Amino acid sequence: MRGLGLALVLVAAFTIVLGIGGLPPRLDPEGPVHTHVGARYAERGLEETGLRNLVAAVLLVYRGFDTFLEVVVIFTALVAVLALPSGVIGGTSWREPDAETSEPDAETSESGDRRAAAVVDRPDTGVPVSNVVGFVVRLLAPFIAVFAAALLYRGHVTPGGGFQAAAIFGALFIALGLVLGRAKADRLVPRGVRPYLQAMGPLAFALVGLLGWRLTGAFLGYPSEASAYVLREAMVVAVEVGIAVGGAVILARLFQALEGR
Amino acid sequence: MELFGFDLDYVAFMILFCIGLHMLVVKSNLLKKLLGLNVMETAVFAFIITSGMVDSGDPPILVAGTNPPFANPIPQAMVLTGIVVAVSVTAVALALIVQIHAHYGTIEVSELKERP
Amino acid sequence: MSAAFDVVLLVFLIATAITVARSQDLIAAVVKFGVYSLVMCLVWQHRGAPDVAITEAAVGAGVTSVLFLLAIARTERAEKR
Repeated sequence: MRGLGLALVLVAAFTIVLGIGGLPPRLDPEGPVHTHVGARYAERGLEETGLRNLVAAVLLVYRGFDTFLEVVVIFTALVAVLALPSGVIGGTSWREPDAETSEPDAETSESGDRRAAAVVDRPDTGVPVSNVVGFVVRLLAPFIAVFAAALLYRGHVTPGGGFQAAAIFGALFIALGLVLGRAKADRLVPRGVRPYLQAMGPLAFALVGLLGWRLTGAFLGYPSEASAYVLREAMVVAVEVGIAVGGAVILARLFQALEGR
Repeated sequence: MELFGFDLDYVAFMILFCIGLHMLVVKSNLLKKLLGLNVMETAVFAFIITSGMVDSGDPPILVAGTNPPFANPIPQAMVLTGIVVAVSVTAVALALIVQIHAHYGTIEVSELKERP
Repeated sequence: MSAAFDVVLLVFLIATAITVARSQDLIAAVVKFGVYSLVMCLVWQHRGAPDVAITEAAVGAGVTSVLFLLAIARTERAEKR
């Protein structure tokens, strides 16, 4: 098995070396990467989309369909994780097979012991969070939130955008969930609106796409007249907010699901 | 920069890809396999990004202080979506691994093969 | 200077990837994978891709590592040979 794996890796390495040997030289401004559609985006991207961040322009305007379905992919991943049998994923581990069959009363002393062992098994109650970590996360949380919001709001002008903000907001939720404990972290986002927030990426994309259809006749089309500048920017920001909030909530929910909830 | 006529960056990312592939194929632990898959993914992303860069080029953001030639924005947009898909794939795979452990009590492929 | 920095980063990347592959303790492997992701994020920043670098710093080094750690907490920490 080991020899076979090594042989496979060597074959793959040989193939890749052959492949990269045949690639055009890198870093050349006249190379094929930079002379076709990339050059056109760099040249006319600003006047066609009004976005100074060309990455955001490609993501949201030129390749809007790709990004739309990609947001759907994240949502599908969440659905797939949540569709796994939660009784097993949130319940006792395989080490206590009799815990399920026993009477579910934790008050009696002998089964209470077993309960305690099962509880220690879970990640959140195992080790208390260190004071240093707790303090630093609490101290930095507002700054991280402001940074993520700035990435989101200024994302079409400077580096940043929906996905970046989603990643940072999601990481912030996860860090707070680790430090504050379940009960407090649960209160960060109200339970009732969570399903809508989780679906917000695809929803925002679909709504803006339909609005674009109404305005320009093409799904996900953006009005290109100079007078519609404000509307266009509002549509872009709406999509970015959808991606950011949806992505962040989905990341936090994936974390909770793996935690066993 | 070149190494034996090959681009140094490409060679480095090829090596990283092969390390990840080796982990994915040879390791018996499912979590280790998944780490290998992540290493492979990152190497591919790095390859795509590097292919779109220009010599002494600026990031593709048209503000005061950046001048053409710009790095190509298309690979960056592709990789940006790719990273987020990669973390989704990782999350689904991890949830499945936790389920496998709950059912069989092991995450080693060599032991899983012996289970009924 | 810039080229030397590149070479150092790439060598460091390969070294961290090999240590990820070699460590038997899965938690150590995940922490090393976080280091790998952060160095990769530096490489991308250096390649003129700040957008991707930000995402990788938050997702690769942060979220992926935490998800892995949770999965390890609910399975096993040691890799059997």
